Amino acid sequence: MTRVVLAPPVLAFLPEYAGLEDPVAELRAVVLDAVGWLGEDVTVLGDDQARRVAAHLLGATTRTGSEPSYLVMGNGSARRTDASPGPYDARAVPFDDALGRALLAGDRAALAEVDADLARELWATVEPIRRVAALTELSGAKVEYDAAPFGVQYWVMRWS
Amino acid sequence: MTLRLGRHEFGDDATLMMAIVNRTPDSFYDRGATYAEDAAFERVAKVVGEGAEIVDIGGVRAGYGPEVSAEEETERVASFVGRVRAAHPQVVISVDTWRSEVARAVCLEGADLLNDAWGGHDPALVEVAAEFGAAVVCTHTGGFKPRTDPYRVEYDDVVRAAIDATVALAERALAAGVARESIIIDPAHDFAKNTFHSLEVTRRLDEMVATGWPVLVSLSNKDFVGETLGLPATQRLTGTLAATSVCALAGARVYRVHEVVETRHTVDMVNSIAGRRLPQRAIRGLQ
Repeated sequence: MTRVVLAPPVLAFLPEYAGLEDPVAELRAVVLDAVGWLGEDVTVLGDDQARRVAAHLLGATTRTGSEPSYLVMGNGSARRTDASPGPYDARAVPFDDALGRALLAGDRAALAEVDADLARELWATVEPIRRVAALTELSGAKVEYDAAPFGVQYWVMRWS
Repeated sequence: MTLRLGRHEFGDDATLMMAIVNRTPDSFYDRGATYAEDAAFERVAKVVGEGAEIVDIGGVRAGYGPEVSAEEETERVASFVGRVRAAHPQVVISVDTWRSEVARAVCLEGADLLNDAWGGHDPALVEVAAEFGAAVVCTHTGGFKPRTDPYRVEYDDVVRAAIDATVALAERALAAGVARESIIIDPAHDFAKNTFHSLEVTRRLDEMVATGWPVLVSLSNKDFVGETLGLPATQRLTGTLAATSVCALAGARVYRVHEVVETRHTVDMVNSIAGRRLPQRAIRGLQ
């Protein structure tokens, strides 16, 4: 059975950006646990930068099993609050709420129809999510993380 | 190189703040503020709270002043060391003295480090350090006797002179039985040096670091800072921190200071710029 994990391509995961304290310790632990659940052979969905993050996460885990696996590097808006990296946009939270509901439901049609232009305006990384919805079923969603600690909406989810 | 200071060990990437605690009535900066034992004890608690790894307890003003006998110096510092040892077991206790009899008394009370600020004037001091397993600071003082200010001193090459003298003292300490990882060298800004000498020692501190011996710098509010900026002792912090930055970039390991927090921030910032220390916590732009 295909295994899918959604995780945010947070650059702070990378060792070259490590500090004395890990600002994403909790998120990192959740992501590594989820990535470790994937099979040995993983297809990464994401841009070049996200693939670097994914490569680090995959390298930091030991995976076994032959299940087809996808690691989807995406996240919601980075314009949710005044403390977000991008300037506040009132459309961000409703956008994330709708996206979160579609992810939880494994609603492939809704995910495929996410407004790519709006997502770009809201600094949301959704293209990998749209792609995985076209590639495989997303059933039995398990939400491991759902928060926006730095004003960016992160989800860590598993489907199988 | 790993540093072993008495009962304390530090990794080879550690920089250490050595806070000055004067049990003197006449030191140039604090002017007797911590001469009274309780005031000195409060100063220790304050600097330990600020993160100082070392306290450097001194009983005799470095410059000219009324003579302080070995007995008087011992009375000022020895039992005080014992009191600090009991109250702050985690802190390295250094004592600033050139006298071996004082060194013995403070080692018996638990001192970890002997800051021989007058550069081997009493050759028996390193033997005391070896006997007690204490560390020692080897200082360049141009062969001057203790408490002597420079007068028309010149060098062919002040940095060469400082390196030769301190390395010779370090090797002598080693031969006397002090552990290699317990020996520190100090170019001693202002000691046997005019302002131009101290500026040059600062500028070329990397040559001293290149000897491989861990380097201590004592820059805090000194006259070379004051003369360079035209400022009295109470207004030299910025200049001190600028000099501290240059020494940190060169790789100094120990910083003898009045202001612990400001110096720690400066040294950490410089070492992070130099790529020797990670930022404390970085998330901006990396979310």
